[in-house]
Amino acid sequence: MPANRTSIRFKIRRQDAPGSPPYWQEFAIPYAPDHNVISALMVVQNNPVTTDGQRVAPVVWDRNCMEEVCGSCAMLINGVPRPSCSALIDSLTQPIVLEPLPKFPVVRDLLVDRSRIDEGLRKVRAWIEIDGAWDTHEGAPRISPSEWSANYLYSRCMSCGCCLSACPQFGPHSDFIGPAALAQVRLMNAHPTGRYDQADRLHAIMGDGGVSDCGNAQNCVRVCPKSIPLTTAIGELGRQTTVQAVKDLFGG
Amino acid sequence: MRHSTADPHFLLRRLHSLLGLLPVGAFLIFHLWENSQSRFGAAHYNGEVVAFLQGMNYLPILEIVIIALPLLFHAGYGLVITTQMRAELTRYRYVRNWLYWLQRASGIGILVFLLLHVGMTRIEGIWRVSVREDLFGHMQHLLSQPWMFGLYLTGLLLSVFHLANGLSTMGIVWGLTTSADAQRRFGFVCAGFGLLLAAIGLHGMIGFLP
Amino acid sequence: MNTTPKAIVIGGGLGGLWATLRIADAGFPVQLFSLFEVKRSHSVCAQGGINAVLDTKGQRDSIHQHIVDTLKGGEYLANQPPVKSMCEAAPGLIHTFERMGVTFSRTPEGLLDQRLFGGVKNKRTCFAGASSGQQLLYGVDQQVRRLESLGQVVKFEWWEFLSLLKDADGVCRGILAMDLKSLEIRAFPADVVVIATGGFGQLYAPKTTTSSHCTGAAASRCYQQGAWFANAEFFQFHPTAMIGRDKNRLMSEAARGEGGRIWAPRDPSDARAPNAIPEAERFYFLEEFFPAYGNTVSRDEASRAIWHVTRQMGLGIQGTDRVYLDLTHLDRAFVSGRLGAILDIYRKFAGTDPLAAPMEIFPAAHYPMGGLWVDFERDDSGGMRPDSPRNQATNLPGLYACGECDYGYHGANRLGANSLLSASFAGRIAGESVVSYLKGLDHHRAPLDPTGVASEIARQQRINHALMRSDGPENPHQLHQELGALMTAKVGVVRANPELATALDELRELERRAASVTLGDSSAWANQTLIFTRQLQDMIQLAMVVAKSALERDECRGAHHKPAFKIPLPEGKFPGDPEFEDYRTRWRANNDQWLKTTIAEFNAEGPRIHYGEIDLSFYPPTEPRDYR
Repeated sequence: MPANRTSIRFKIRRQDAPGSPPYWQEFAIPYAPDHNVISALMVVQNNPVTTDGQRVAPVVWDRNCMEEVCGSCAMLINGVPRPSCSALIDSLTQPIVLEPLPKFPVVRDLLVDRSRIDEGLRKVRAWIEIDGAWDTHEGAPRISPSEWSANYLYSRCMSCGCCLSACPQFGPHSDFIGPAALAQVRLMNAHPTGRYDQADRLHAIMGDGGVSDCGNAQNCVRVCPKSIPLTTAIGELGRQTTVQAVKDLFGG
Repeated sequence: MRHSTADPHFLLRRLHSLLGLLPVGAFLIFHLWENSQSRFGAAHYNGEVVAFLQGMNYLPILEIVIIALPLLFHAGYGLVITTQMRAELTRYRYVRNWLYWLQRASGIGILVFLLLHVGMTRIEGIWRVSVREDLFGHMQHLLSQPWMFGLYLTGLLLSVFHLANGLSTMGIVWGLTTSADAQRRFGFVCAGFGLLLAAIGLHGMIGFLP
Repeated sequence: MNTTPKAIVIGGGLGGLWATLRIADAGFPVQLFSLFEVKRSHSVCAQGGINAVLDTKGQRDSIHQHIVDTLKGGEYLANQPPVKSMCEAAPGLIHTFERMGVTFSRTPEGLLDQRLFGGVKNKRTCFAGASSGQQLLYGVDQQVRRLESLGQVVKFEWWEFLSLLKDADGVCRGILAMDLKSLEIRAFPADVVVIATGGFGQLYAPKTTTSSHCTGAAASRCYQQGAWFANAEFFQFHPTAMIGRDKNRLMSEAARGEGGRIWAPRDPSDARAPNAIPEAERFYFLEEFFPAYGNTVSRDEASRAIWHVTRQMGLGIQGTDRVYLDLTHLDRAFVSGRLGAILDIYRKFAGTDPLAAPMEIFPAAHYPMGGLWVDFERDDSGGMRPDSPRNQATNLPGLYACGECDYGYHGANRLGANSLLSASFAGRIAGESVVSYLKGLDHHRAPLDPTGVASEIARQQRINHALMRSDGPENPHQLHQELGALMTAKVGVVRANPELATALDELRELERRAASVTLGDSSAWANQTLIFTRQLQDMIQLAMVVAKSALERDECRGAHHKPAFKIPLPEGKFPGDPEFEDYRTRWRANNDQWLKTTIAEFNAEGPRIHYGEIDLSFYPPTEPRDYR
């Protein structure tokens, strides 16, 4: 990291509303070593004046926990999709180029509409069917520690959308559901009672936009901020759907 | 809930994947082996290898059912799949991302090459007896032209890559390889397989040269 | 009315989603409102775990002990029936979460693992790796999605609650909410409203561990419409939070527990790198102040000591609000094994290795014990009566509150790993209570007066338009920073009446200034500055409640520390000694005066405080706490 930095410079892609044309603006704030992209954007927000001296509307973006667990703040930072709270300024080349997370419709500036992630989770039935949220006075099934540690990796998915942004098969042009929802199918199918509905979930991902739309470019696993083994999940679903198809075709 | 047999999407994708290996990939292996016989000279090649094949009963039916139709389906459906690609090679400079793009690009390349190749050999042979009777000579004539040799070499390498890389992703698609380690290991196996096939193919091409 | 009565739940964290599940389970349709996708709620930030007595570790743990630990930890300020019911329900809740597929960490036998957590003697805390809150929230989020797919729940994400709709009898009959994209303001009539909008740590920004949406604005809006706000002066500060410009991030107490030492240079102007400062020139103040406990003193004591050293002795690093939390003297392999998760957090967000150079930390506002006042009905066993419509009901008929935004379960201080429990339990109870309320409703109630609704919509629209046209001198983000600095300095870790009185004056000044802002954004689409400015105005109202409640309570209890009123435990004296007996008498007299619930009511001139009795029926305080 260069020692003689005096400012932090941003080049931000802005868009006033869905459908309106995007444009670029540059901002600079005084340098401090402990900034991340969010804290720096907060400084810009306090005084949104471009490097040309023009006072503009504050940049709109999404954030909440700022600890990389809520998934809100993902954006394209120097061309890479990642959460902005953990993007430390000192590790980025300047000017830092900020763009909205690609593949999702822009709401305004860096804020995008990620409701498609939720739709995907609904489509694949990413839940355990329980009778109701009341006590059943019975312990739940046992899970071995090794099985737990494999499952836990997937349960940390925070729906940030980075994997979907990087996926060459996912986007407005395609129905592909993307790796995030597929990984949840893998997770739910591994649960002792979640297994009861494995066939339903597999059928949901065997149609249009399902697991077979994956092109194995494997960008997803490279950009996932939580290092979730998404491609392993896809491989395991490949195996499960193979067996399921054999059952469907020849099982009766 | 849609049953996988009610919705053809999954079965079509898997059929596409399967046909790429069987019979199309298998035919490629056979074809490269068959042509590697060229090093034993025109007499052996024309008299033993080609004549044996041409002497088979129901050859056109076999060619159509085992080679042409699967190949056409694999190519046509592959083109449909390729329309879904939005590769960003400079943004994501990962090997698998390049392989993903190359798989689709090579598919298109192979399609162009095969139109020429089949046209210049099998189709041309239908009305030109000389091609049919002295395929060795015909190939020697073709491959002696450097640009044609280059075209064939490109077609060979694209085909071999497409098969080897396709095999490696088949491992994921069908669920043979799941962990990243397994996928990497199988990737190396497929790469080795591809190199071997390329060597056989190149050997065959050189065998045609005078 | 012949349609099925319907419920509105505001807030999609653990509390809100639990309430949603129980209401929908009973067949009543639920409209769920959230500022963002519900799975991004602040519940995800809880790392430690959730308490439940399962007694699986051979320690003869008991539910009774959990209740007593919770009550004592809160210095008896919590009503005891809700605490009793919560602790009793905890094991069942855990098993329900488990059925939902929550990835709790396991023992080698495949059972739920439990670990030790601060302030208690037994292993009682279930956890899911280092992300317990995230896992619990996802469990209920998935169930809500299931109900959504069945049409029993409709989510309104990216909508903000603005105000309650009340009928002529003052009964809550729905809400007004604003679409955070189009800024459309729409009325949502309903038969009952549950508010589950979390805490208000953003009053202390940036010195808070809470998420940026934890503004307390929604609770403040209910308060301004007549809901009581209770025990607002009790705010837990976490002593060791890593310092950040956007927020302070929690560094678990485990860092001190495993041998971390807290120090500051003896000379605050010492500009050397920490590793270059010799031992003799380091001030290990916790070890000096508390020879018996050293660095492992309680959260509160540690926070106050750091406050004293930085703000009163002026010995923070370079004179700022920073001290060192040092792990560099410990064995690398040992620390990496024991503290891997928090070391990773520090590396990720500070960019430096805490095993190479000490971490820089400061206390941060972490969890409000106070919140909207809620009722309960005691049953013969001394717990909450199941399905009573009074449970979790605010003083406004038809409005229920649960989760961090209610005041019910922690008294004057919160036990570690009890927050996920209270949020889940209160949410579930609120849901069940709402079902009873809906079943008991008169089906022939007059509908809401449409002209009243229309005029409320118009009033809210006028607020938006006025703010967008406003060209005053103030910047809302600047005001937020001033609010945070003011609350941190004067209504924070250590309190004194003159400062609190000044704070109230300054808050009134902030209130005035917040009315004359310039947004700098006139767009009628996704105008975040407008949205935030409205929240800021409500945060200032809530800050006044906190300051006023703190000003009025002249004692030290739990997280509320006012040294001028401290009753010190006589050193070296034990029961029987006249000095100790005198102390005991003063302690009892203090309880007679102050062992009461602070209740704030909205008033245009400022909050009006009165006190409510506490139900101490289960385990009355007879003796002062004595840890010697």
